Amino acid sequence: MDDALILVEDLCRHYVVGGETVRALDGVSFAIERGEWVAIIGQSGSGKSTLMNLIGCLDTPTSGSYRLNGADVQGLADDALADLRNKEIGFVFQTFQLLPRATALANVELPLVYRGMSRRERRARAEAALAAVGLTNRMHHRPNELSGGQRQRVAIARALVGEPSLLLADEPTGNLDTATGEEIIRLFDDLHRRGHTIVLVTHEPRLAARCPRAIRLTDGRVVGDGPGAEVATLGAARAVHG
Amino acid sequence: MTALLDTITMALGTLRANVLRSVLTLLGIVIGASTVVAMMSLTEGFRLKLTSDFAALGAGAFQVQKWPALQFGPHDHRKYERRPDLTREQGEALRELPHVAYVSIEEWARRPESLSTRERATKQSISVCGGLPDYERANGVDIALGRFISHTDVQLGRRVIVIGADVQDTLFPGQDPLGQEVRVRGVPFEVIGVAERQGSILGESKDAWAVVPWTAYERALGKVRNNNIAVVATTPDDAPRALEEVVAKLRRVRGLAPQEENDFEIFSNDTSAQLFDNLAKMVGAATFGVCALALLVGGIGVMNIMLVSVTERTREIGIRMALGARRRRILSQFLVESVVLSALGGLVGVLLGAGLALGANAIWQVPASIPAWAVIVSLASAGGAGLLFGIYPAARASKLDPVEAMRTE
Repeated sequence: MDDALILVEDLCRHYVVGGETVRALDGVSFAIERGEWVAIIGQSGSGKSTLMNLIGCLDTPTSGSYRLNGADVQGLADDALADLRNKEIGFVFQTFQLLPRATALANVELPLVYRGMSRRERRARAEAALAAVGLTNRMHHRPNELSGGQRQRVAIARALVGEPSLLLADEPTGNLDTATGEEIIRLFDDLHRRGHTIVLVTHEPRLAARCPRAIRLTDGRVVGDGPGAEVATLGAARAVHG
Repeated sequence: MTALLDTITMALGTLRANVLRSVLTLLGIVIGASTVVAMMSLTEGFRLKLTSDFAALGAGAFQVQKWPALQFGPHDHRKYERRPDLTREQGEALRELPHVAYVSIEEWARRPESLSTRERATKQSISVCGGLPDYERANGVDIALGRFISHTDVQLGRRVIVIGADVQDTLFPGQDPLGQEVRVRGVPFEVIGVAERQGSILGESKDAWAVVPWTAYERALGKVRNNNIAVVATTPDDAPRALEEVVAKLRRVRGLAPQEENDFEIFSNDTSAQLFDNLAKMVGAATFGVCALALLVGGIGVMNIMLVSVTERTREIGIRMALGARRRRILSQFLVESVVLSALGGLVGVLLGAGLALGANAIWQVPASIPAWAVIVSLASAGGAGLLFGIYPAARASKLDPVEAMRTE
């Protein structure tokens, strides 16, 4: 288990809202190995977004431990978290989260900017990443000049450009029509086959069923962890195996 | 280095995306910077011009008068009125001083005169002096035509006159005035000389004058009891010594006790320059007041727009943080943006101010000279205002929570 990319043990994240403690995550444990493609599935309010923020080093847990690529994330300062996100994680968001005024190329370069890479090198890398998602001829377009599917590809290129150890996707097809969503999923499939580790957060069983493995969350607890096709079709509250 | 360059590029990018807003925001700073540069350029121009004008008055020359030339603020008019007149005898007594070369004792009427020929007349704007040959040296007069008045003219009380260039222009346009008759209060004088043009100082002509021998002046126009005395030192370097000697001599002949203050005024190129420097300092202080106010207003404008910008770009900030921007990086991004914005305003202001000064120079012949320090001070204070007023918005941006920030629309 020690060389697992993600090792989560008894992870809790509690919020205090109006004097009441909300247990968004309540003792979650699992491990994800390198090269896995795992869906985290749950309905809204299940805690999957909270879990995604924790895995993405955007938030810190109330208790429990989280190791990412051998580093203990618990107790890291803001700067260290920022560096970890920059190096280890490639984000793909439902709403793309591209800078509206920047070209596709500039958007893809952004993680490398914060890595302090030279202009020449990051440009070359960004061009390569855009080529890899089939957008060579859209590099100088701004997001509003691109279709939804193209925007998400730009986001994926941006996620991959820094060669992170983990691709973390949050409802990546949520804002796309079925055909375009399928295209994106096939892109993930391809990335998985080439050895990338992917965590995909979704509420859609259909999507989770496509993944080799799925973890189902309900009320801040893991209620299912197994092959995607099985976990995706589970009834909400039944655990299969740990 | 790459990081700073990237930050500046980003800043310029966002400013270009909001040109109109940036321009409006910067008005305060533009006004502040242009005020400083324009005012300082004009003041500096006047200073340079006056320095050369006063210097032209005659090297090593200074004047003794009963009345102060220019006064600022409240003053006691009667104190000067009670002073005894400067008499011809007191002036003549200065000739024996070792470092005094020329003493020009001058009788000036209180009001300017109108000079006339049969065909033409000047306005009542010509100062007429009853003087001595020493007048020429003491006032830096160069003779263009004819000659200046001589000792013989004075001894014989000849009714001869030397006229300034303005008088020549008005009474004898395109003619030879020598030997012609000019009337002052109806009394005819013969023109024996015309002075070279001296130009104008602060818009006032230095050529609207005429000199006649004082003997003739007193006989024809009446005696003026109080004299102006212009003294020329043996050499320009001796001027301070000559000045000391003159003050000591005058105190003695005017019977002042050691504890009494001088009952006369001394004007030299130095005191004139000092006078103007004092004036320039007041103008400078007022300008800086205006400028500080404009910078304050401009700075608040910049702070406001930066706060708006942070709010508008909350999502962008969230994205940048998610992709690995440290908080300090976000802070510096907005600080640099604020400084670049303000410095641009400063630059526009400097150009505008310089343009105003040069335009005034071209249109109204107002002297102008743009001092480098005014440009530097303007740019630095504009940038400084950007830094100061950018801190709060930038700090606010850097403290955002990335998850919350990315959720805003």
